[in-house]
Amino acid sequence: MAPLPGQASGVYTTMRRTMGDALNDFLNRHPTATQPIEFPHNIHVGKEVACEFCHEGVDKGAVAGIPGLRTCMICHAAIATDRPRIQQITKMNEMGIDLAWQRVYGFSNDDNVKFNHAPHIRAKVECATCHGNVAEQTVAQRSVEHTMGFCVNCHNERKAPIDCLTCHF
Amino acid sequence: MDRRSFIKLTAITGTSATLASCGNPENQLIRFVPAEDIIPGVAVWKPSVCPLCQAGCGLTVRVMDADADVVRNGQAGVVRIAAAKKLEGAPDHPVNRGGLCARGQAAIQITYHPDRITQPLKRAGDRGQGRYEAITWENALAEVVARLDGLDGNQRAVAAVSRGGRGHRAAVLRQFLARFGAPAPMTFDLFGDDVLRRANALSFGREQLPTFDLANASFVLSFGADFLGTWNSPVAQNVAYGLMRQGRPGRRGSFAQIESRMSQTGGNADEWVPVKPGTEGVLALGIAKAIVDGQLRPVSGAGRAGALIDGWSGGLASYAGAEVERITGVPAARVERLGRRFAEARPSVAIVGGPALAHSNSLFTALAVNALNALVGAVDQPGGLSFTPQLDVVSAAKAGGPAGAAAPALGQFAADVIAGTSSPQVLIVDGANPVFTTPPTWRVREAFGKIPYIVSFSSFLDETTALADLILPDHSFLESWTEAVPESGAMTAVASVAPPTMRPLHQTRATPDVLLEIGRTLRRPLDLPWQTFDEMLGASFAALPSAVADVDAWTDAQAKGVWTGTLPAGLAAPAPAAGASAAPAAFAEPQFDGDASQYPYYFLPYPSNQFLDGSLAHLPWLQEMPDPLTSGMWSSWVEINPATAAKLGIAQGDVVEVTSGHGKVQAGAVISPGIAPDVVAMPAGQGHRTYTRYASGRGVNPVDLLAPVTEKTTGALAWAATRVQIARVGPPDGRLILFAGGMREHFEGELR
Repeated sequence: MAPLPGQASGVYTTMRRTMGDALNDFLNRHPTATQPIEFPHNIHVGKEVACEFCHEGVDKGAVAGIPGLRTCMICHAAIATDRPRIQQITKMNEMGIDLAWQRVYGFSNDDNVKFNHAPHIRAKVECATCHGNVAEQTVAQRSVEHTMGFCVNCHNERKAPIDCLTCHF
Repeated sequence: MDRRSFIKLTAITGTSATLASCGNPENQLIRFVPAEDIIPGVAVWKPSVCPLCQAGCGLTVRVMDADADVVRNGQAGVVRIAAAKKLEGAPDHPVNRGGLCARGQAAIQITYHPDRITQPLKRAGDRGQGRYEAITWENALAEVVARLDGLDGNQRAVAAVSRGGRGHRAAVLRQFLARFGAPAPMTFDLFGDDVLRRANALSFGREQLPTFDLANASFVLSFGADFLGTWNSPVAQNVAYGLMRQGRPGRRGSFAQIESRMSQTGGNADEWVPVKPGTEGVLALGIAKAIVDGQLRPVSGAGRAGALIDGWSGGLASYAGAEVERITGVPAARVERLGRRFAEARPSVAIVGGPALAHSNSLFTALAVNALNALVGAVDQPGGLSFTPQLDVVSAAKAGGPAGAAAPALGQFAADVIAGTSSPQVLIVDGANPVFTTPPTWRVREAFGKIPYIVSFSSFLDETTALADLILPDHSFLESWTEAVPESGAMTAVASVAPPTMRPLHQTRATPDVLLEIGRTLRRPLDLPWQTFDEMLGASFAALPSAVADVDAWTDAQAKGVWTGTLPAGLAAPAPAAGASAAPAAFAEPQFDGDASQYPYYFLPYPSNQFLDGSLAHLPWLQEMPDPLTSGMWSSWVEINPATAAKLGIAQGDVVEVTSGHGKVQAGAVISPGIAPDVVAMPAGQGHRTYTRYASGRGVNPVDLLAPVTEKTTGALAWAATRVQIARVGPPDGRLILFAGGMREHFEGELR
């Protein structure tokens, strides 16, 4: 049998592309996201900017969305324009270059998990339940581990379905 | 596991774990600020119009966020865009009513095609070599304007070849040429229906393709028309056909297909009637005579359509059963039974098209079937045929202006250029590839080679565009304003329109806008009444009555993707001038090129289910879509009757050579019981020399064999009027690719 693309041989496979990926997953090790600028979540939450103001997809669909500069400039076209970092992003926006945010949370394709934010918001799950207290963070940190046990515990508590096909489909 | 191998294993996995944590290289790319607000993960559906054939089906397009690779100011990066991801049929569109054919589904691949022309190109190598260099839009447009300005006083030296059509886009090109002082654009459709349009003008006073109310029909008699596959408005006809078969509890309509090679439509028929090529008109009149003789309808019922047939009022004496059997090969008893059935099933309708109208005597065939329809009262009646009221685009958009000179026929144009009696200086190519679709005997390629300057608006480097000096690539249909004025398929007047569903991916520009801009910047501006294409569409649709209170027709049409309703008197396309003096048509033996002793087989090229005439061969989904009858894919093939194959020692998959008096091609043999023993058939569409990575050098083009036989009255190419010989060249060599091993209803061994 010919090897499939991305596989070393057609005989033995892990559920991950490499043994390294498998080991990292088993040990819950993830690549650390490095962000283009140190975005201060704490300041924005402190000013009582609601999460969904910037992560505007969260109550509409599967993905909360990582906002781009267009969203920043809604406020920062007028607010805090004297700060060097704001001037820096204003200049980037004028050049048409967006901030290349890296993902902090999320499941790899190999996990076969389909997560949808909107029903969790409808069920009034707090953002902090899964994302930790971002009011204490500058750039977001992976402070809550999204293991299957973490999901299932909460589903059990809230009598949400725990059928496999709820998340794995 | 011993200690040593454990250390080895951890060493290996440790290394790859370190590598894996270096992060995703895609994150190293520059991200650009998106130009629009997009909610990630949430789809919106926008209307559009399918561009692939003239049917003009309405689409609904799923648009979602996506990351696109782009180059901005010389920097490569990614940008989040709202991208079209899936096409479906628009549920409320009066033509396709929610349906969409497999070809339409694949149209999404046009936008994202890896070999799309992404910016203006200027020829860098010899003509036809395909070497081009990038040029800015400003310089490209300046070059075209300078060329056109340089023709001052010789305006007629501009020629254009386009796809034609009845919509606004075609009207912009016609207006451009007319105001410039050049002849109208030439059009050539290999499997075109000009013969039927002419016949309908004579019989019914409407020069257009008919719409069939199959949903209410009880019996359908189709003369060669592949109306469920590729002919006329296939999705509209499929929807109506489904209702005819299963939409009326307790009453299932039936149909008979008359043809010499079983098409997809023939495969669905209750009765399949093989007939000698070019004699379909005789069979139609034989059926008509059976109806008249059986006192089932009065001969006078056919009115004007009947009067066009020689001997009609005399009861069609020369179409008696025995004579019809001799000419067509259909037994007299069967002709009579079909006639009785056709007259007794009410309502019934006859359809004619495809190969039946691709002979030297086809106008007669079309007129005969028209007379048969008129005899049973199928015209403008429920369950019969009618004509979709046509919006006159020019008067709706208040274009006015000069009418312009008529276009020459493409074959004549090529002959004149080669002979030197005509010397066009500039050729404009829009949406047509005549170098591929015309018979080589017309020498279109050679003629185009003599034209000093060729401008193409194509998005792909096809055989005609490869000759161009300048390529000004169009947007894809999803990136631009699209519209269609369907010729048939709906009972009411219909005009589709839709704004762009997504922003352009590349440095392309909408062709109608480019034409308008060129018109404005000429030394003597053309005075076209619109600045942009959407301004023209707005003017046109605003002239239509709105179906909804409080919303004007233009706003409503943009939201729905379609306008439908009753046309105001001034906006309906005028009926053609009555050609009353036409002499009554009589059967003449169809002419075939090639001597029967040297070329014993009738050659039947047919529009492929995947590629039509070849214009869709660049879409890989269609390349891998199996043909519904042979299961052929990614290749060309020759369909041969089992008896003929046995006689010539040809087995399934063998390489055979098909030779006509004008060319030869080699392809794999498909042994098919659904073809007459004296006919061999080949699908068109493959055999491109250059047409993207998916079509180039794949298969052969049956058009290479065609003789320049034309229909006697209309001059249309008689594409089924060539005779060929076939011979086995060798055993299967892998060039024939079938999805199934063999014909599905036969064992492999049985075919050998």
